[in-house]
Amino acid sequence: MKSTDDHQDDSGWRILIVGTGGQGVLTAARLLCDVFVYQGYQIVSGQLHGMAQRGGSVQSSVMIDSGISPVIPRNRAGFVLGFEPVETARALPFISPETVVYMNTTPVVPYILGQRSILKQMGAEYPDVQELVDCIHSVTPCAYAFDATELAIEAGSVRAVNIIMLGCLLGSGLLPCTAGDFWNTVTKTMPPHLVTANNNAFSRGVELGKSFRSGERKP
Amino acid sequence: MDAASNHVVLRDGPGTPVCLLGNLAIVRGALEAGVQFFSCYPGTPSSEVGDTFAQIAKEADILFEYSVNEKVAVEIAFAASLTGARTMCGMKHLGLNYAADPIATMPYIGVEGGMVIVSAGDPSVITSPNEQDQRHFSHFLYYPVFDPATPDDALRMTRYAFEFSEKTRLPVILRPTTRVCHSSGMVTYESLPANKNRIHFTKDPARYVPIPANAHRMRKELTERYRRAEELLGTSEFFPRAGSGRYGIIASGVAYAYATQVIQDLGLERQVTLQQVGAYPIPGGVLADFLVDVDSVLVVEELTPLVEDRISLAAFRRRRDIPVYGKHTGHFPVEYEYTPDLVEDALRDYLRLQLREKASVVVPDLPTRPPVLCPGCPHRASFYMARKVFGKNTVYCNDIGCYTLGYGEPLHSCDVLLCMGSSISQASGIARTTGRRTVAYIGDSTFFHSGLPALANAMQAKDDVTVIILDNYITAMTGFQPSLTTNSREPGGVQVESRTTGEKGMRFSIEETVRGLGVNEIYSVDPYNEDATLDALKKAKNGVGVNVVVCHSPCAVNEHRLKRGEKRAPFTIDREQCNSCSLCVRLLGCPAILVVDGQYMIDQELCVGCGLCAHVCQYDAIRQSNAKKT
Repeated sequence: MKSTDDHQDDSGWRILIVGTGGQGVLTAARLLCDVFVYQGYQIVSGQLHGMAQRGGSVQSSVMIDSGISPVIPRNRAGFVLGFEPVETARALPFISPETVVYMNTTPVVPYILGQRSILKQMGAEYPDVQELVDCIHSVTPCAYAFDATELAIEAGSVRAVNIIMLGCLLGSGLLPCTAGDFWNTVTKTMPPHLVTANNNAFSRGVELGKSFRSGERKP
Repeated sequence: MDAASNHVVLRDGPGTPVCLLGNLAIVRGALEAGVQFFSCYPGTPSSEVGDTFAQIAKEADILFEYSVNEKVAVEIAFAASLTGARTMCGMKHLGLNYAADPIATMPYIGVEGGMVIVSAGDPSVITSPNEQDQRHFSHFLYYPVFDPATPDDALRMTRYAFEFSEKTRLPVILRPTTRVCHSSGMVTYESLPANKNRIHFTKDPARYVPIPANAHRMRKELTERYRRAEELLGTSEFFPRAGSGRYGIIASGVAYAYATQVIQDLGLERQVTLQQVGAYPIPGGVLADFLVDVDSVLVVEELTPLVEDRISLAAFRRRRDIPVYGKHTGHFPVEYEYTPDLVEDALRDYLRLQLREKASVVVPDLPTRPPVLCPGCPHRASFYMARKVFGKNTVYCNDIGCYTLGYGEPLHSCDVLLCMGSSISQASGIARTTGRRTVAYIGDSTFFHSGLPALANAMQAKDDVTVIILDNYITAMTGFQPSLTTNSREPGGVQVESRTTGEKGMRFSIEETVRGLGVNEIYSVDPYNEDATLDALKKAKNGVGVNVVVCHSPCAVNEHRLKRGEKRAPFTIDREQCNSCSLCVRLLGCPAILVVDGQYMIDQELCVGCGLCAHVCQYDAIRQSNAKKT
């Protein structure tokens, strides 16, 4: 059942999806789970979202044929889908030189930052996005940063960032499923109006993933 | 049962692999065991168990309720079990404490229909004020406790637990932790049963009434039933062992999943023997056999060293002098949840493998995203008004719910906090010793959960306490479960959240309730009505003894979620008028107010048009925009 690709070893495929509440992290994870279960793989998925609410940090892992633990160990993510720059940087402990990172460059600035100086609260400022990209790139050569939010808006909805990112992941050809098969399986159970709304976003993501893979677009 | 059901836990199809959330796997296990009755009080990370039952109860022909608190939930379910029904009860770890009174005596009496209490644990205090180890309820109160490592374990253990409970007549506890509740994994369905237990209550007071004469007899019988439970567990499938290496590893809960994974990832299968502990009391034979086959033991379990102590004792009794490593030897900490890395490092140390280098990646200093009250949250309005009236020197006792977020800057509305229902009692204690009027904040669900006795107590003592009840008609923080004041609650039956705006069913009156306790000074206000609210609070401040201010306003997120309520246009800040005095931020801290390069503005997406900031603004710079929100 396993391919011979270099991004998969004895421990299957480990995908970490990170973002903020409202960006569709958990939905993306669920779609991956659904498709790979349907295709006969063993799936384990974990989630962490403390007090779930809009704007909080959200992490979800999807493990395909990799064992029974729902938590990715340090340096052992095969893939990171970062829906937001700071959240992607927060995932650095899971990233190794072999990890493939797809990263959205549009920030979701925590509301607290503007209010913090007024409320005399301590804490980090929002970092320069390019510095975050460089930081991730210093760990893995396979880090691809792009404005997924803008692509989602072009494709019809800002809410489609998660579908762009999934498209990118499937377009890479590094998972044991073609982008076409993936989308066919997803759309079997998706309400028709959502299929229409997301078709475009998915195919744009796939194109992007393919161009990264072929080297046509550099990290 | 309807095989064509849409809900994943009701699907038929034995043998089909399904990827299921741990909490849903528990529901499925109960359904496969023919559960007939379910009661719970919501609490993260257990809530999805009850919420799933709420969705399917009618279709699956299960008597269901969100109980008023965990003690009531347990008592109702236990009584239902005495009529022969298979019953389940859901709560988080803290709920088990609240229900510990009935729980302590239930094993003496014993069940008729199988009874399973799901009490989810929260190591690392992700959504709780403490972490605790419910496995101790086994030898503490004679409860068999099941400890799943995966959703698959959770399903199989739940399915097994009902019949096991009937065979031993012991109620049992299923203790999943956050990582099991909120992870998804592969499970295999069995068929849903065609028949369920027959319901019948046979009067037999000597069997059901633990007056001392009977309890004395029951105590002896309990020892025997608990021994029988240990014996049965010894024949169960929840103590699997893998490998035959001389390095012994014994593990429980999700830590067992981590240990399995590390052994697989590092290819250590030939060097180690891995033993899972899936339930308590740990059958003596399991420990004895394991000790014979290994030369040393590493114990991998979260929280207290329970297995570690048991296996050390077993080794001592069998004169088996081998080293036991774990928390006592510093291989693992007693606090917080484990991680795969923690387990890998301990295993490498234990097996004398090369230790890993410390993490070399330097993560830059990143801004955090702390939880805050949502835009339009009525609690913010209540906090702001009360602080305006009672001032900064009054002590504000807060309680468990979204309103705990009144803590710290800028609302300063949580000076002390303890547990469910404690705000009123704490206010009594502080008012009585300091001689100053003290404020207690408590939400509708928490008030009925355990605030009522504290209020009665304050009344009889005539404490100078102002109880501000924040009634948002819902149990919001745990995921919008109905509370007693949810208008669609159907009395006496299955309660289902109505998705209409109409006043269906009954809404419990907080005012009538507190009046019944003897409170004469009661104010009902809408916290968004500034004049009326300030007026009521001023009167309460100058009152004598106990008075109650009930702030009624629906949870803004729930209204949005149910697509009801009037859509209000967002507010905007007029840059000409705004002089950047920062008062709106300093008083309210609403996440919709943004400060970018010294400019104040309102996020039009986040703003729900509550208008509180416009009330606060001294320069009339905040106004409602004309555009109606869609």
